[in-house]
Amino acid sequence: MIRKTDFLTRTYDKPEGWTLPVYERLGGYQAVKKALGMTRDEVVNEAKKANVRGRGGAGFPMGVKWSFMKPHPTKPAYLAINADEGEPGTHKDRTIMEQNPHAVIEGCIIGCYGIGAHVASIYVRDELHLSKKRLWDAIKEARAKGYLGKRPFGKDYPVEVYVHTGAGAYICGEETSMLNSLEGKRGEPRLKPPFPAQAGAFGCPTTVNNLETIAIVPTVFGMGGEEFSKLSTLHGINDGGARLFGVNGHVKKPQIIELAVGVTMNELIYDIGGGVLGDKKILCAIPGGSSTPVLRPEEVVNVTDEKSPLFQWNGKSVFDVPLGVDTMRGVGTMLGTCCVTVLAEGTCPVLAMQNLMQFYHHESCGQCTPCREGSAWLDRTLQKILDGQASMADLDALGDIANNIMGNTICAFGEGTAMPALGFLRKFRKEFEQYVRGEKKGSEARLTVQ
Amino acid sequence: MPTFKLDGKEIPFEPGDTIIKAAWRQGIEIPHYCWHPGLSVAANCRMCLVEILPAANQRAMMLDILEWDAALNDYKPIKKPKLQPSCQYAATEGMEVNSDTSSHVVDARKAVQEFLLLNHPVDCPICDQSGECKLQDYWLDHGQYKKRMRDEPVHKPKAVVFGPTIVYDAERCVMCTRCVRFMDEVAQDPVLDMRERGNLNEISVAPGRQLDGHYTFMTEHVCPVGALTTKDFRFKARVWFLRTVPSVCQGCATGCNAHLDFDPRYNKAQRYRPRDNEAVNKFWMCDEGMLSYHRAHDGRITEPKVGGKTVLTTVALEEAKRVLGSVAKESIAIVLSAQHSLEDNWALQQLGSKLTGGAGVYMTSSITDGYEDTILINRDKNPNTNGVKQLAGDVKPFATLMEDIAAGRVTHVIALGGETPGGVKDLEVLGRVSSMIVVASHEGALTKMARVVLPAASWAETSGTYVNAKGMHQVADKALELEGSSKPGWQQLAALGAALGVDTPWKKLKEVRAQLPAEAKPAPSPGATPAVTANP
Repeated sequence: MIRKTDFLTRTYDKPEGWTLPVYERLGGYQAVKKALGMTRDEVVNEAKKANVRGRGGAGFPMGVKWSFMKPHPTKPAYLAINADEGEPGTHKDRTIMEQNPHAVIEGCIIGCYGIGAHVASIYVRDELHLSKKRLWDAIKEARAKGYLGKRPFGKDYPVEVYVHTGAGAYICGEETSMLNSLEGKRGEPRLKPPFPAQAGAFGCPTTVNNLETIAIVPTVFGMGGEEFSKLSTLHGINDGGARLFGVNGHVKKPQIIELAVGVTMNELIYDIGGGVLGDKKILCAIPGGSSTPVLRPEEVVNVTDEKSPLFQWNGKSVFDVPLGVDTMRGVGTMLGTCCVTVLAEGTCPVLAMQNLMQFYHHESCGQCTPCREGSAWLDRTLQKILDGQASMADLDALGDIANNIMGNTICAFGEGTAMPALGFLRKFRKEFEQYVRGEKKGSEARLTVQ
Repeated sequence: MPTFKLDGKEIPFEPGDTIIKAAWRQGIEIPHYCWHPGLSVAANCRMCLVEILPAANQRAMMLDILEWDAALNDYKPIKKPKLQPSCQYAATEGMEVNSDTSSHVVDARKAVQEFLLLNHPVDCPICDQSGECKLQDYWLDHGQYKKRMRDEPVHKPKAVVFGPTIVYDAERCVMCTRCVRFMDEVAQDPVLDMRERGNLNEISVAPGRQLDGHYTFMTEHVCPVGALTTKDFRFKARVWFLRTVPSVCQGCATGCNAHLDFDPRYNKAQRYRPRDNEAVNKFWMCDEGMLSYHRAHDGRITEPKVGGKTVLTTVALEEAKRVLGSVAKESIAIVLSAQHSLEDNWALQQLGSKLTGGAGVYMTSSITDGYEDTILINRDKNPNTNGVKQLAGDVKPFATLMEDIAAGRVTHVIALGGETPGGVKDLEVLGRVSSMIVVASHEGALTKMARVVLPAASWAETSGTYVNAKGMHQVADKALELEGSSKPGWQQLAALGAALGVDTPWKKLKEVRAQLPAEAKPAPSPGATPAVTANP
């Protein structure tokens, strides 16, 4: 069900929409006053009620994450905002930073208060220069007004927000890797435990939230957690509110749009995205960033357990299931960042997989063995398949390699590589075999619609 | 002590132990590259993955993977449990861990082995690590697959000179970061780090620096593969030709436990390796110590000498008898040596007390106030200063000997060991001694000025006891055969005593050790780390 909202996007495309006066005119910086009037526990409880699932890809409930923060006897707490948006096919955080930076700042103030931190650092991907500038400008405006600083809104609770230029790579979007990078270290994931809530930035308790997650916080407190959650048709399975949905790839109108949770992939592609380029059929779609396994429209939900939340969609195409954290998990993929990438019929899934694996090969930090060597081996083998130099044994090796990366690495990058690889293999084995048998040529493979 | 089960076997552990460490204490090795008992946990090699069975009320975390079903001609979704790195996972009471008995673990190890060897040059025939390489050992134990990657491997820098002692080969490197962590954590000089990313990673030295200092050899020692080699050992020997004995470093009073590796075919010492001893040197040795095995051959006294000329032993003993025959007892100084073993010093002490009545006992040594640090290196560059002090409580320092010679109170000297604290500066005063009889393994100011020199076996050629700065008695075993006409010091001193008409009845090392005073008797060194003898 499509239900448009504009909590985050109301400033989009407005003249000077990223400035403080416009933000305030549209109702900004009201929710923070309400939040600062509550106790810390009340703030965390309100956040829990909102059922905001982390927007970074893992979908961890934001309120629950906040509740992990316990005051430390000697160490300060930090809020770290992950804006190292680099997942292929994901392009949502950037729009917020560029067009609604004050929502981020307001969210940071509430977030800091909720977790007991006085400092929030926003780690922004290096290449997003305009985003960094807009955030800095917003911070300056908020400081000048006294919204940031010693007494935000008259409350004796100092809050400062900083923008930290990413100095790394894709891997710095992994939360502990980001903390290392924030500290000036090599951007490599840390061993867990300890988790950031125990020992995060500079060894201090830290909450890491995705930028979109923190930007929606003012909305949550403006309308009340439960009210917000009820916007979603998946409110019943703790997946609440509204979020940014992206649609890209072979669609007529690729875009970012804010919708209440509950929209299906078909609605997103056809009603929002305007359908597939050249009115072709959908070959497959990646639900939310390249790490999420691909779905084909022919796939149907096959749940026999009546108690399963997916039972009501049993027998339907997976493209008609509402995009939610648990619903997508139920159909064998992940919601991820909620930016759907569409591949039209006629494009090559083998080339698509090679394209993704080339990315993971290039971006593996190289810390642990299976990912370092496995991602490169996948890429190399796929290249051989496209070049027509691979044997069936090479094709069979692909599955083995991905199986052996899966779960055996320090961070989730390993699964992020293995899951889409296994997805493509399982769903497009025939196409791979065609290349091995010489029935298709890599030079004729395309990722563009003719 | 709490326990957990590893492959059904009860393993006791201390609170805070990881699975791998508790197993290691029991002498059970869970295969690993990056873990080292003396370094922080990196958990990056993923070789030590184990399956931890879920507690009774919990479910195992399962992961979705695919299996090719040939009959079905399609993939079949299957599940595997999430494995945990045993180097990182803390042991808890009653936990059940499957290592060798889990098929998932066996598969994961094989996969890690294959990943690590994917771009490895497999240049074992020209690699110094060959024969003691974890990649080789684990391939035999856990790999044994047929090579699937037949394309050109990734090429990386080779023979990169890291500093005065170490050479790096990035193609052989498994990126375990042991060397990086050693320099950070033990040497406290964070000069190494990793650069690039993915499978182009390589270890590099900080810009403007080289890998130098006092602990560079340990980077090679901790390297589980042939990526780091020392210039000293490079291309010198194949390790399977070497034999090893437990030894004690002679470089300073710390008395680091070492393995002395030697080639029995050529009677040649080839290198030291640290021998784990939690109470002394943990797992480490310094560069100076690591190079001090050269003293098994360098600067040695191997033939008897009279007036600087090589002679037969009988001639040398005759000369000793002649020069000491009519000398007044109180003019003879007995000089013990902090460079020689307890056994040698005991023999001279016995000889001295019978010859002169036990007065006039001095001690010589090498440098006593050299470089020191808080890691391993002691300022006293002698292995047995404490041993001499334990034997002869009233031993007079070398400076007193020099004064007594200068004042004419000492005219004759019977000394053990060639070296003196002042080296060439001592020659002038020593020249005033009428006659000096020296039993020594190595050259020094004393042998230079001696009338008679008798060659003693070095620490590498005979078993000897040394007492380190902490007062611990440690035995260095015999590795090499005696060089030239040398004999163990205590044996030469027995012969000297016999020539001088003194009763020196000891004939065997056993007899000497049995007679050592109670407080100076060798005891097994405490705190020796457990039965894992291979490099951790």
